[in-house]
Amino acid sequence: MIAPTRARHRLFAALLTGACICLTGQTATAQSPSLNVSIIVFSPGIPADASTHRRLQVFPRIREFESRLLPFVLRETLVATHTWGAVRVVPEPDPAAELYLSGEILLSDGRTLALRFVAVDASGRVWLDKSYTQLATIDLESRRPASGIRAYQALFDEVAQDLHAARALLDDKALQDIVQISLLRYAATLAPTAFEGFLHRDPGGRFSINRLPARNDPMLERIQRIRHVEYLMTDAVDEKFQELYAEIASTYAVWRKYRQQYAQYQIEEAAWQENRKSTAPRGSYKAIESLYENYKWARLAAQEQEHWARAFDNEVGPTVTRIESRVAELDDWVDDRYAEWNRLLGEIFELETGLGE
Amino acid sequence: MKALRTGNILALCALLTACSQQLVGDKLVRGYAGDAPVNLSGSWERDYARGDIVSVEVNRVLRQIQRSAIDPRMSNDRIGVANTSDTRRKISRVLALAQLADMITQVDTLTITQSEHQISVERKGDYAISCEFYEGVAQGPETEYGNEICGWDGHQFVSRLVLPDGLRVSHRFTMSTDGKSLHVSTTVSTSATTTPFTLDRYYNQFERPVSAFNCIETLSMKRVCSTGEIK
Repeated sequence: MIAPTRARHRLFAALLTGACICLTGQTATAQSPSLNVSIIVFSPGIPADASTHRRLQVFPRIREFESRLLPFVLRETLVATHTWGAVRVVPEPDPAAELYLSGEILLSDGRTLALRFVAVDASGRVWLDKSYTQLATIDLESRRPASGIRAYQALFDEVAQDLHAARALLDDKALQDIVQISLLRYAATLAPTAFEGFLHRDPGGRFSINRLPARNDPMLERIQRIRHVEYLMTDAVDEKFQELYAEIASTYAVWRKYRQQYAQYQIEEAAWQENRKSTAPRGSYKAIESLYENYKWARLAAQEQEHWARAFDNEVGPTVTRIESRVAELDDWVDDRYAEWNRLLGEIFELETGLGE
Repeated sequence: MKALRTGNILALCALLTACSQQLVGDKLVRGYAGDAPVNLSGSWERDYARGDIVSVEVNRVLRQIQRSAIDPRMSNDRIGVANTSDTRRKISRVLALAQLADMITQVDTLTITQSEHQISVERKGDYAISCEFYEGVAQGPETEYGNEICGWDGHQFVSRLVLPDGLRVSHRFTMSTDGKSLHVSTTVSTSATTTPFTLDRYYNQFERPVSAFNCIETLSMKRVCSTGEIK
């Protein structure tokens, strides 16, 4: 990982000397470019009304964790297809990304995982806007739902297939345009005066290219180098999240296994109750005791689940806090630098053209 | 569980107990503004010197039933007990309620945790009575077998469990003014009879001994304890 001061030195050295900072998967080839994909950390889908959490079995801390973990599962799935350039999980929205993917957790109860995905390219073209639902696959040996997040791999495979199908609808020219629009949109956010006018945005929010900067435009080269530095920082943050994923994956697998068992228990309990009709006379002790006991055991099972949710928090909490604080440092550094890049580019543009930014 | 002795059940007591039968929930307030009126947090242990004796309460209620069943046409010197099947059914249903109330109120200790958004009354061997408060509205747990309605009634915390067949189990928690004693009134009622059954229990606050270990529950390692700070 790059320490902020070291990265800072590299940045300014790059800006002043024009040294190249290259990133794997970043360079678009002349034909069939492999688009880079940015996956924003998912929306955890926690209902705003906290009073519904218990009824809906939503455990906010765990949902937050899942919203960070699941993008990595999608990332690994996409990387394995060898269809894409760099696939990154980004903590902040990146609408100028060549392909920007956002997701929301609709349901995650141990038995079922439901996610909604929206994929939009840099030109504003929507590739995907769809909900996916997957039941945990059944382990052939135990005949029970398989544990761990891989029980839902089919869902992520389906998303990868749909993205691949959407990509196949575009020709090389369209893909190259996406790469160029992405860079120009990024450039326009850093140096608006220098790059306004290159893109046209229609009322529907779609971008198209008006004209292109010169191939050796020094300002564009600077922008590219800055973007590379930002990617390096994103990769450093990404690395931190992967570290988190690796450290917590085994605990999360225990949690999912527990949730799956609980979901299974609920199904079996409902079936048992359905088949069991009390013959005790209404109002008798046997009859009312049975009513009370049914409620009691349902509540005890729910309380047990809440207990394990707290145990999960206890176990992963310190790791999450440590990594969050490191990521926050990196984010702060990038935010600070962003303002500096902006100012610096404005000054350079002024020097080169005599026009104020 | 304590078994109720049939002899006691059928005997009529000469004296009525001083405890009143309080119907829970008549004034239950589910919404409230501001802070909770009382903080019930703490560990509470049963005060066996106080509270209802089940058999005495049973006899008192049975006496009421039988009084109401006395044939008004009988003269004062020939007071008898109407032994109709209706009365017998009423008695057996009240006995069932008494038995359930007895079972529910066996708890020796209560651990109450109360925060801005939740009250939880942990009872050994039974589920924890729970109530959440968001935006001034109290919300109890709901399951497919029943649900809890809860809230504050003045300075009393009330939880009412609503079960099928009109079965209701209500708990009313009242803290003494010095904060050292907790009165828990438990009423069981059913739509099968108009007569509810109430048992009063008293608990005294106590301090749990401080452990030399700091422990936390974890998912993969279960309970983890340390003499120092757990990181």
